[in-house]
Amino acid sequence: MSTNDPDKVWPTGLTLREAEEVHSYLIDGTRVFGAIALLAHILVAVTTPWLG
Amino acid sequence: MFDYRKYVLGRLSQIGPRYLPFADVASDEVPLSRLLRLSLFQVTVGMALVLLVGTLNRVMIVELDVPASLVAIMISLPLLFAPFRTFIGYKSDTHHSALGWRRVPYIWKGTMLQFGGFAVMPFALLVLSGYGEAVDAPLWIGHSSAALAFLLVGAGVHMVQTVGLALATDLVEEEDQPKVVGLMYVSLLVGMIASAFVFGALLENYTPGRLIQVIQGAAVVTIALNLIALWKQEGRDRERAMSTVEAPPFSQAWRGFIRTSGATRLLVIIALGTFGYGMADVLLEPYGGQVLGLSVAQTTKLTAVLAAGTLLGFGLASRVLGRGLHPVTVTWLGAVVGVPAFGAIILAAQGPSLWIFVAAVLLAGFGAGLFGHGTLTATMRSAPRKQIGLALGAWGAVQATAAGIGVALGGVIRDTIAFWPAFESSPALAYTPVFGIEMAFLLLAVVALGPIRQRRREHRRKKLIPS
Repeated sequence: MSTNDPDKVWPTGLTLREAEEVHSYLIDGTRVFGAIALLAHILVAVTTPWLG
Repeated sequence: MFDYRKYVLGRLSQIGPRYLPFADVASDEVPLSRLLRLSLFQVTVGMALVLLVGTLNRVMIVELDVPASLVAIMISLPLLFAPFRTFIGYKSDTHHSALGWRRVPYIWKGTMLQFGGFAVMPFALLVLSGYGEAVDAPLWIGHSSAALAFLLVGAGVHMVQTVGLALATDLVEEEDQPKVVGLMYVSLLVGMIASAFVFGALLENYTPGRLIQVIQGAAVVTIALNLIALWKQEGRDRERAMSTVEAPPFSQAWRGFIRTSGATRLLVIIALGTFGYGMADVLLEPYGGQVLGLSVAQTTKLTAVLAAGTLLGFGLASRVLGRGLHPVTVTWLGAVVGVPAFGAIILAAQGPSLWIFVAAVLLAGFGAGLFGHGTLTATMRSAPRKQIGLALGAWGAVQATAAGIGVALGGVIRDTIAFWPAFESSPALAYTPVFGIEMAFLLLAVVALGPIRQRRREHRRKKLIPS
């Protein structure tokens, strides 16, 4: 049995490559959210410094 | 023995696809409810436009005390991104994905950009205006972060609208395209009007905290509405995913598109007409106030009249195009109607009759609606299915650029003339050239439409008389 078969359809109805692509949207989204949150925190720190 | 593993896998495989964001069956018939849901992305685009051009424009100048010139630069930054619409459209046409998706990845990325821009924007604006401790912060932090926020929102809006329209075109047959165009335009208008009211009410008692709430609220609404709009719209396509055909490079695709008969001319016409109608957008209200002596409440109603006219235009265009009238004819009608409308608006300053002015504004809105609908439908029809994204990108690039320049130039021309000492006594004279220029540009559009209409007439005659 091979788990690397690109044509195998998994229980979700997706092949491995399709599932990986769906997952990549999640990863990219998390990265963007992280970057945006970091920038927003820096800007807030400039207006109202909470770190002293 | 009960095979637990098999049972669970079986159940999982049944519920799995329901929670995944694509349509499994590409159905032939797309119900209206699904198209309505898709049109929600235009609501978020309208919301973003109103927030940038209307609400924040005012808040930055009045409440945040940012210099007007800096505000103008920030607000026009998203325009820089408009030409890239063509490239985005092309990318979405040729996107390679394991799921066979073309449009959804780009709409999603655009949504993220728009969200990100709005999430950062309120803090960037507060830093820009020197709120709190930001007074001591170096200037470049405020400038660059505000510019980044505006650029992100602009890029997101351009991306979502271009690829969203392409997805809508993908979903329907050619004879239903006028309906979809009408629906998309109406959603945009509804989104703009509704959010203008909501933002106005929410920001009536301005506080910095309220500004943060409103803009970040807009960010959340953007993500939520676009998710609802996108859910299960684009089908999975294993054939497209497997295809190994190399797409032509952008330059080649673009040259091919521009060489199709009438494509360049159509783009020029779109630029001329949109420029003509765009100049009026921001000047009708001050014209009504300064020249005709209307109150603030009355001038607000004037904008409502303009919007009502535009809605009428969309409605009529959808109807006649659905019955087989050619989009070029509708575009022509839209441009022709605007000429007497602006003529009457100029004359309204001389005569005492307010009703003629109101009717002229209604007519101008009506023409703008017909023109917008006609050109977008013509664009959709002109391109082969494989190049819809590219064609709509070109439409959007030209349309957004022309409208933006029109709005900016309209204000600049009026201000320049109004500062001339000789014209200070009569404010009407400052507006007359602007409306005159609009008439001229609409006339140019009518002239440019001539050869296309001529060719169509000959084409039809040849069909009628088989030689």
